[in-house]
Amino acid sequence: MYAIVVMINVGIFVLLALSLNIITGYAGQPNIGQGAFFGIGAYSGAILTGKLGIYFWLAMPISAIITGFIGFFLGLISIRIKEDFLAIVTIALNFIVAAIFQNVKFFGGSMGLSVPSPYWFGNPLSYHGYLILIIILIILVIIFSKLIEKSWLGMALGAIRNNERAADSLGIDTKKFKIMAFVLGTSIAGLTGAVYAHYMTFIMASDFGFLTSVSILSMVILGGNNTIRGPIVGAIILGLIPEVFRFISDYRLLVYALILILMIRFQPSGLLGDDSFVWQKLTNLRASYFKRRGA
Amino acid sequence: MKRKVFSLILVVIMVLAFNSLAMAQDDPIKLGFFAPVTGPAAADGESALNSAKLAIEVINEKGGIDGREVELVNYDDHLDSKQSVSIAQKLTTRDNVVAVVSGSYSGTTRPAANIYQNAKVPMISAYAIHPDIPKSGDYIFQQSFPGPVQGKVGGYMAVDNLGAQKIAILYVDNDFGNTLNDNFQKYVEDKGAEVVYVDSFAIGEREFNPVLTKIKGLNPDLIYVVAYAGEGAAIMRQSVDVGIEAQILGTEGMDSTTQFLQVAGDAAEGLIITTNLNRDSEEEQVRDYINRYTEKYGFAPDMVGASTYDGFMLLAHVMRQVGPDSEAIKDAMYEVEDYMTNTGLLYRYNEIGEAVKPVQVQIVKDGEFHYYDQITDMDIIAP
Amino acid sequence: MFLQQLLNSIAIGSVYALTSMGATLIYGILGILDIANAGAYVLGAYLGLLFYSLSGNILIAFVVTMIITGLFGILIQKYVYRPLLSQPAYIPLIASIGIFIFIENIIRLIAGPTIKEFTVNLPFQSLNFANLHINNVWVLIFIVALILMFLLWYLLKMTKIGLAWRATAQDLDIAKTMGINTNRVISLNFFLGYSFAASAGILIGILYNSIYPTMGSVVSYKMLAIIVLGGLGNPFGTLVAALLIGFIETMVGAYIGFFIPRNAIAFVALVIILLISPQGLFTQKSRI
Repeated sequence: MYAIVVMINVGIFVLLALSLNIITGYAGQPNIGQGAFFGIGAYSGAILTGKLGIYFWLAMPISAIITGFIGFFLGLISIRIKEDFLAIVTIALNFIVAAIFQNVKFFGGSMGLSVPSPYWFGNPLSYHGYLILIIILIILVIIFSKLIEKSWLGMALGAIRNNERAADSLGIDTKKFKIMAFVLGTSIAGLTGAVYAHYMTFIMASDFGFLTSVSILSMVILGGNNTIRGPIVGAIILGLIPEVFRFISDYRLLVYALILILMIRFQPSGLLGDDSFVWQKLTNLRASYFKRRGA
Repeated sequence: MKRKVFSLILVVIMVLAFNSLAMAQDDPIKLGFFAPVTGPAAADGESALNSAKLAIEVINEKGGIDGREVELVNYDDHLDSKQSVSIAQKLTTRDNVVAVVSGSYSGTTRPAANIYQNAKVPMISAYAIHPDIPKSGDYIFQQSFPGPVQGKVGGYMAVDNLGAQKIAILYVDNDFGNTLNDNFQKYVEDKGAEVVYVDSFAIGEREFNPVLTKIKGLNPDLIYVVAYAGEGAAIMRQSVDVGIEAQILGTEGMDSTTQFLQVAGDAAEGLIITTNLNRDSEEEQVRDYINRYTEKYGFAPDMVGASTYDGFMLLAHVMRQVGPDSEAIKDAMYEVEDYMTNTGLLYRYNEIGEAVKPVQVQIVKDGEFHYYDQITDMDIIAP
Repeated sequence: MFLQQLLNSIAIGSVYALTSMGATLIYGILGILDIANAGAYVLGAYLGLLFYSLSGNILIAFVVTMIITGLFGILIQKYVYRPLLSQPAYIPLIASIGIFIFIENIIRLIAGPTIKEFTVNLPFQSLNFANLHINNVWVLIFIVALILMFLLWYLLKMTKIGLAWRATAQDLDIAKTMGINTNRVISLNFFLGYSFAASAGILIGILYNSIYPTMGSVVSYKMLAIIVLGGLGNPFGTLVAALLIGFIETMVGAYIGFFIPRNAIAFVALVIILLISPQGLFTQKSRI
């Protein structure tokens, strides 16, 4: 059971890292406030099922839509405010969103919100059920990310990432594609939030703060921005550290920080980023393996 | 040859089996514990963990539970609910503890409570007072009196004891502050007192000059402050700076010698708080606890520590009666009557697992907490 | 009453200016959002208390702490930031968050998580006249801030290294090709940035008579709001932005009441101002 819960926790972070990768990776836009969208999804889901009595399975996509709608506004902002200033605006949005959850009675205020258990054929959804659900979602998001990479959207986003002005002058509607990246990335985070809220059964504003956003971003960067494998591996590594190092209790965060500093320092493009030492070794190995087999 | 190997394996299995049977008798009884030892609430986490370790030491010194040792299985939750949930799974399915004490806040204890309830492992929340925690099920208990009770006692002290008519309120914006504020306000308004000012602040706030300046202008007779040690000390110091002369009434959040009294210094003189630890208690066990804690860790314990200690002592008391069995412990908890703890006489648990016990009122004199009053009136302290 | 609130707001604003100045200097040259500067603030507070209790002289404690923390800043930039200069801005940002978490935790492990008091007897008392109250530590903060700002101004505008500094801030690569020892400039920059943060840590420890390992967490993000509002890397802009945030927070608290937590107000102001002027209150042109 313990292993399953740990896998669910890591799986949630895998989803969040993949969702952020669409914004920071594909569109190359800074976002240090993904935790806010995770939270918007979680609160939407909690209110839809808890207060309005809507089925969990319906509340999930609705939460994604609500979150994507708010992500749309961040996309609009990103057209006017750029780079470091945009990064700070995403941090600011994170604080403002958390403050609203914390202060508005409708969202439970500082008392938090209790969330009812969803049902699956008449039985409350078990932890096994959550794990299967999350694995299915991860597979769907991976397929979706692949599609983006290969599609015209991916090309356009790549152009924005490399040189926004040049892309503009080539007649690519950068505004439209940037907004699309924000909408898609945030709505996946929202979907994850809805699942998280029901899995936790209780949510509070502080679950979706600045530190959550920072850890999601760290996972993406540490694993390798703008790839699919990178965010997954980053989420698994950073998500597992608190559990794996439980035996050193007090020193756990010290180890977490050290790993973060050293990995960023020596593999700034991510552990499995395209330019990384590890990934090049791996691809070389694969190439020589196939060569040998071919010979 | 084959037969030799086979019999060897058989012998090994038998030895192992015998060993494990014998072990089962002498195996220590495992009690689970989690607290935020790292992260923003690390000071409370450390205080709780210190007391948990001391409690286990004391239980074992007194012969454990019918000769069996007690072992503490403790984890740090970093004040993160994802971690408190995985810890709950680890404690119940890997470590197989018979019961658990939470030394953490409400945000982490609340989602974990569901897991303990489903695993049928009793959990005592030492000092987290979110009203939903005991409502998670019949295996979940609160060691301290519920938040609404403390709020009501605050109101009783303000209006009936100190005679305040114009009251200002400052509370920390979390479940603790909100619960106390709601019940305090309701009580004093029912009694005809006027609440002239209410404001909340975030945990970690240190700057209160603007609000205190404003409160001074409103000239209340009493200020009700629901704060933790750090924020509370800042409020006390700055209210002296600003020149506020109104009586200040605090809560258990400020009940800390090292973190509150030493920081607030002279500014804390005359402060009255509602809490669960009576530092002037004549009870031997309270004296023992305070002395041993101070000796072991070099500073005086606070109510967080005392409450955690009581959680373990209560479990030990119950286990001595019914043995280390989760189901039996749960049933026996509801039978507990008039049990003396560090934090006052525990009358009983009500049907949802909330403690019914008197509320202590302490006053700061010469830089120390001293007895001021004890509220035992059932109309006020019954949850 | 209003006058007192105005005084309160100036005091709070000065505290913000002091805590954000180090990060402003560092952004001005390297373009890094240095959250680890909040770690230097915590480190400074603890070292300050240590040296004060050892020496019994607050001036010695100030100087020694500022030098040690400044040297620490040089090490950080040499071994962590400088190799990451060619990377996108969020990469050093994550490294700086790692450093911040590291500092917080190492201090917690060594000094313990509980609040420690930082009582210093100042040679002058708090002032009270005509119903107004001026805290003596506010006066101290004001004096130290003035001295440090004057030193900074003198260094930047009146010395040769100041010229090199300004050239490096304009364009690091061009400055390098012009023969400026940019590494020395960056080292000096971090030395000052981190020693400023250390002095802020000591002063605020004295102001609230308490230091604790997590004292930097509010600073770490509020300073971001302030330096961005000030136009990223502009010391004068930071000063104005800090006073402005102090003023808004005080007046909201005094006359409107906190409709959202005080710490979020800076961010609401930030988003509104950035939407109107996407480069902050003071644009990049006037940077240093």
